[in-house]
Amino acid sequence: MKNIGDIKNIDNKYIKLKFKKVIEVLATGALNIFLVLFSLSCVFPIVWLVYSSFKDDLAFNSNVLTLPKEIHLDNYIELLTDGIITKYMLNSLIITLISIIFIISIGFIAGYFIARFDKHFKSIRFLSKAYLVGMLIPIHALLVPIYIWFNTFNLVDKSFTLILPYVSFGVSAAVFLIQGYIRSIPRELEEAAAIDGSSLTRTMFSIIFPLCIPILATVGLMQAFVCWNEYSFALTLISSDEYRTLPLGLTLLKGQYIQSFPRQMTLMAISMFPIIVLYLIFNKQIIKGMLSGALKG
Amino acid sequence: MANNNLIPSKKQVTLYLLPSFVIYGFTVLIPIVMAIYYGFFKWSGGPKKEFIGFKNYIDILGDEIFWKSLSNNFYVVVFSIVVQVGIAFFIAVLLNTKYIKFKNLHRSTIYFPSILSSVIIGFVWSILYDYNYGLINFFLEFFGMGDLKQAWLSNPNLVMTLVCIAMVWQYIGTYLIIFLAGFGAIDTSIFEMAEIDGANVFQKALYITLPMLKNVFAVCVILCFSGSMKSFDHVITMTAGGPGNASNLIALYAYQSSFLHYKLGYGAALSVAILFISLIILLIAGFITKKFNKD
Repeated sequence: MKNIGDIKNIDNKYIKLKFKKVIEVLATGALNIFLVLFSLSCVFPIVWLVYSSFKDDLAFNSNVLTLPKEIHLDNYIELLTDGIITKYMLNSLIITLISIIFIISIGFIAGYFIARFDKHFKSIRFLSKAYLVGMLIPIHALLVPIYIWFNTFNLVDKSFTLILPYVSFGVSAAVFLIQGYIRSIPRELEEAAAIDGSSLTRTMFSIIFPLCIPILATVGLMQAFVCWNEYSFALTLISSDEYRTLPLGLTLLKGQYIQSFPRQMTLMAISMFPIIVLYLIFNKQIIKGMLSGALKG
Repeated sequence: MANNNLIPSKKQVTLYLLPSFVIYGFTVLIPIVMAIYYGFFKWSGGPKKEFIGFKNYIDILGDEIFWKSLSNNFYVVVFSIVVQVGIAFFIAVLLNTKYIKFKNLHRSTIYFPSILSSVIIGFVWSILYDYNYGLINFFLEFFGMGDLKQAWLSNPNLVMTLVCIAMVWQYIGTYLIIFLAGFGAIDTSIFEMAEIDGANVFQKALYITLPMLKNVFAVCVILCFSGSMKSFDHVITMTAGGPGNASNLIALYAYQSSFLHYKLGYGAALSVAILFISLIILLIAGFITKKFNKD
């Protein structure tokens, strides 16, 4: 009799354990499904835009959701060969590249001096605070004042106009990430180099710089996205067609193709293409850089 | 001698830092100060500037569009603090449990919209909301709720919320990353101990994670304030402030006054208002975080 009772007990416990396990599996499944749906909702509008861009107007108008039955490339061919959007892309590319080079080099030098010598010089502490202003200020509050200010020096609507704000705001964001990174590099390296007779300039560029390449690459990529996507300064400071950047050109062309959604979507898809490629290649580095920089800023 | 190589001379500091700082000061710092000065003028962009004292600043206080825009700005802030930070925190908690597969993939996917241009985001969402070709109306019809169909962005009562949804959707990944960074800084042994004591996912989130992430929440709230200004791009591409002024923002109103109505002095005064309000908010935020940290 005693034995049977024991077995019953064990059975009960076993069932309870099994029950708990089932609940856990169900909950895990539900959570995973929820998160997959959430992630999908974060990319679906973009995916929808890209596949819809391969439809012709008729196919899109008859059903907005279905996948294209046949790939319709006319919009791509026309937009890529008429040279307008490619011109805007080229403008954006040049502005972005020049800005990045300046942001990285100014950001590195200023970051190095702030990280190492802010205790020695009052001027460097002031500089660090001044760059903080650029990071905290709402950029859109400066659109009108910068326009008027630039206008008095005849700096509005020139080929280099946009580089000034992009570099200035880019540097103020970059400096903080870079100086935080340099602070984590031990000083002994520089002390040893100094004893060996290396000048400050040489130490900075041939010892510290190579060590900073990971953070500089992250900052460069992030700022490349910012410059490539920037819209409001381009809108206020640029008026002639030859200097328009891509986001500005997009809003203009969008108005011209108002009757055809697939054509507008093609326009957007083409302009996203470089960003998507960069993101597919570098998304791990970007996220890693963001993770390490997120709380320092 | 070694010391000379270790600490730069005054000349070196000037040489390395001054040129770039001059550009920065010229582009960012001086316009901040000049904005206040420009606000004293009536100027339509031509050669004639007329000094009118404080008139622009006084006019702002009686300007209905200004107050409407200001309340819209605050709506964006509240919406993004509640919805954006809320969802991002929830997803971050989920991503930190052991139950979720493909964590890195989720992270990269959710972050993806953050790197796109707001022009594209604004465009995508304005088609989603479109009356004839929008997916929202498509699904409403599909599920037999066709009578709910409407031209979404033309509804003045909904338009702010709809624009906010597009913005929140774009930047949720940024906040997710901030939270994940915050989680990464918490010692995992605390969670293990809690697990041994039988705490479930939600208890852990409520009693361990939340209190330990006070600072991260503070960062997020400050970002929501400064980020609410970013909604300029979304609003201008989706609604241009309309219908009427239902979705106008102060920065957009400053832009419209200056470049569409040629009242640049008034636009500058509005910019000063934005700077002033931001300064107050920053001071309050700084004060609150200091208080928080003392506890």
